[in-house]
Amino acid sequence: MIPGFHALSSAWLFFLFIPVVLFYFLKLKRPRQEVPSLLLWRQVLQDQRVNSPFQRFKRNILLILQLLLLLLLVLAAMQPYWRGQASTIRRLPILIDTSASMAALDKAGGKSRLEVAREQVALMIDNLASDQELGLIAFGRTGRKLTDFTSNKRILRDALETLSVQDVPSDVEDGLRIAQALARSTPFDQAMLLSDGNFPMPERFDLPFKLDYRKLPGAGPNVGITALVAQRTGQEGWALFVSVETSSESPAGAAVELLRDGKPVQTADLTVTRGKAERLSFKFTLDKPASFEVRLKPDGFDSLAADNVAFIDLAPARSVFVYAAPECLAARAALAVQPGVRLFPEEGKAGPGDSRYDLVITNKLADASMTSPVFAFLGVVPEDLKPLVRLSKTPTSAIDWTRTAPLVAHVELTDLLVVNGSEVGQGVRDNDFENLSYEALAYGQHGPLILQKRDATRSAYFILFAPEESTFPYRVGFPVMLANLVQQAMQQAGLAETQGQTTGVLPPQHFLAESNYTIQSPDGQTWTEKSDARGMLAGVAANRVGRYKISGSGAADKSVGVGLLNTSETSLTGAEQIRFAEASVKAESTATLKIDRSYWPWLAALALTVLLVEWWYYQRRPGGYAA
Amino acid sequence: MEIGPSKPRLTTLLDNDILSRVEQLSINASQRFTSRGRGEHLSRKGGSSNEFADYRDYAEGDDVRFVDWNVFSRHRRPYLKLYRHEEEMSVVLLIDASSSMLFGEKLTRAKQVAAALGVMGLFNTERVSVYAFNNDEGQPQMLKPGTGRGRMRELLRFLEGVEGGGAAPLETGIEAALRRHRGRGVVVLLSDFLTFGDLPRSFNLLYSSGLEIFGLQLLSPAEIDPELTGDVRLIDAETQAMLDITSAGNLLGIYHEYRRAFQTRLDTFCTQRGGRFLSISTADPINFVLLDLLRRKGWVR
Repeated sequence: MIPGFHALSSAWLFFLFIPVVLFYFLKLKRPRQEVPSLLLWRQVLQDQRVNSPFQRFKRNILLILQLLLLLLLVLAAMQPYWRGQASTIRRLPILIDTSASMAALDKAGGKSRLEVAREQVALMIDNLASDQELGLIAFGRTGRKLTDFTSNKRILRDALETLSVQDVPSDVEDGLRIAQALARSTPFDQAMLLSDGNFPMPERFDLPFKLDYRKLPGAGPNVGITALVAQRTGQEGWALFVSVETSSESPAGAAVELLRDGKPVQTADLTVTRGKAERLSFKFTLDKPASFEVRLKPDGFDSLAADNVAFIDLAPARSVFVYAAPECLAARAALAVQPGVRLFPEEGKAGPGDSRYDLVITNKLADASMTSPVFAFLGVVPEDLKPLVRLSKTPTSAIDWTRTAPLVAHVELTDLLVVNGSEVGQGVRDNDFENLSYEALAYGQHGPLILQKRDATRSAYFILFAPEESTFPYRVGFPVMLANLVQQAMQQAGLAETQGQTTGVLPPQHFLAESNYTIQSPDGQTWTEKSDARGMLAGVAANRVGRYKISGSGAADKSVGVGLLNTSETSLTGAEQIRFAEASVKAESTATLKIDRSYWPWLAALALTVLLVEWWYYQRRPGGYAA
Repeated sequence: MEIGPSKPRLTTLLDNDILSRVEQLSINASQRFTSRGRGEHLSRKGGSSNEFADYRDYAEGDDVRFVDWNVFSRHRRPYLKLYRHEEEMSVVLLIDASSSMLFGEKLTRAKQVAAALGVMGLFNTERVSVYAFNNDEGQPQMLKPGTGRGRMRELLRFLEGVEGGGAAPLETGIEAALRRHRGRGVVVLLSDFLTFGDLPRSFNLLYSSGLEIFGLQLLSPAEIDPELTGDVRLIDAETQAMLDITSAGNLLGIYHEYRRAFQTRLDTFCTQRGGRFLSISTADPINFVLLDLLRRKGWVR
């Protein structure tokens, strides 16, 4: 193997050999010692042993040691390295997986996957040449750039030091997109991905660079909660379903404990086998809102702790509050017969008190100021879409719709006829709607018929025709669509089926408008977030499993618990191959990762050793034979 | 206990008690080199002492007083009785006082030994003379031969006054001394013998002059076991010649070999000429050298 040199220009230091040899032979500083006679010393120097080649070598050993010392120092200054894979790479972004599964340990008291990855990256940083640059990108649920491309080892080490596992599912695509964005400003040919391979395949991503996928070694056995669902049973009853799965080949035992408002209420033991989720159910009634926590206590070693706890907040059962504008006669008529629906405005009665509804159906854009998680606008075009689409007098019919969308699930639009349909402007394309965050759920002959717009706190559907001016109210699909809306509103309000809260983002909370709230995460970090004009506190990052405390005016020290609840993360399975849109990348082991290994510190240490040997050799007490 | 005034010290070289003890010793010459002058040493030739030596046939002209008449009556032939002749012995003290002897108080120790041996000679009615070589010309500083304890003070004063210096080699000094000296006996060479000259020739001259050679080599601890390390430039104290030594620590083993071989060679030079050789360190106490070592080695009795 031929070594490379990071600082070949330092080779000019070899010229220092000349003055060293000159000074040695000039012996400018040879100490003088007066002796009674040179008789014996002359005889010693004439001795054959002293003049043997080996002794001649020994006589010049000081020069040889000095030259060796200089050679080692010059070589160290040239910064030699054994060529590894990275020697030809000048700029390398490293994507580091920080998702929940990266916290998995290989054994009790062992290393986490992230620590292994960090060691590999630290090694690369240590051996980074002066003309090479690394850029660090971390990705969990989202990607984030830790550093720009830099050869500054301190910056890289500091960034690596701050890296910690986030208790969130992994999204490698987001990390790759950040690398792709980096490539636009700072081109590079290859990127490195360090992950345990536990992520969804980025099959829609076109890989614009070569990817070196380094799969970290597998972790130990894991048992975890993968799902927590509460379903309403009867008028006030709830059933809580807990799914537990394991990554272990052998059956794993565990105990599950249910806590209500922090107090244990039920426990159950179970044995889990790989590939088969073990489900437990707990039944109870609620007369007031309650917070539930499910704790899993595995019997043996459990490599991942983040999936051993889950949280769910439940409210007592009630009717769905639906506001339907008085002009929306067909909708009101259909909703009036829906069970469990309380329709507003009621005859001679006000709203539910604080103008909060579970569902708002209206034909006026001004009603968007109401507070509700689900809106349905009938026969109106939102302001931001008016340049793209308008309501025309042209009759139209539905030609296609997204059957998997919750709004139009089980809704048949084939024989729908619309008198005054929508019509898109000249040159308008589908992605013009997508650019404004609209998704078309149904298409007519001249443009979209149903659009959906989602943000962090609510979903809004825009039906771009008045139902009363179509055959829709006379078709069975109309009440089905309204039932879908009600069902969605019930789910949003937690009235029908509620999922356990997951990490990533806290569920939106409704407090006072335009107020600051202090968030304290389970690991003790605190920060402040501000509620919006509608009083919604949304988009609060929650990357750690546990309870987040929210304090501020109107919050009354509210706490919201979030759990991992992710089957993939709990399974700890790692993909051996990443499938992209047009290519696949096979995993390589981190053990085969060939890093340019600088060995100038060893040369420097060797030089120090030579210096010590020289010092010892010449300063030791006189040896020789006894007198 | 009787306390009286302390006796004044006779010399700075030796304590009075050491002097009083060496007065009772005598130099043990083995070769019986003596001068014809009457002394206390029995001659190998016939003499007039009371000590019988041998018989020989009578020859014409012999003194008939020495015919053993008892033998004549038995053998009917005259045999002459021979008696040992008591002759005086010269004790020549040759002190190398060159610059090299200034190292490690070698000269001081040489003067002390010379004083002791000189006192022994004077107390045994031997002709004691001293030659000290301390100049570049090789002309020795000399104490003329003399006998009798009355010369002891003169001997001690002379030795006290011997100064070190000069670079004259030992063999030059020996030749110069022999040009002045008359008489047979013992020559005590007090030197480090670290000379590039022809020592066997000088020893032959001494031997042929009827002097039994007592070679006493004086070395300092720095010469016996030098502590040299690294690269040094050695300067000869006498000639100012320079010698560069590299890695001196490693050469010490060979140095010791050569030092021992040199001593063996000096010992051979002396013993081949019927003499004695001894090497002492200036670190050895003078009591030990005079009263123990020299007695054990048979130099004195």
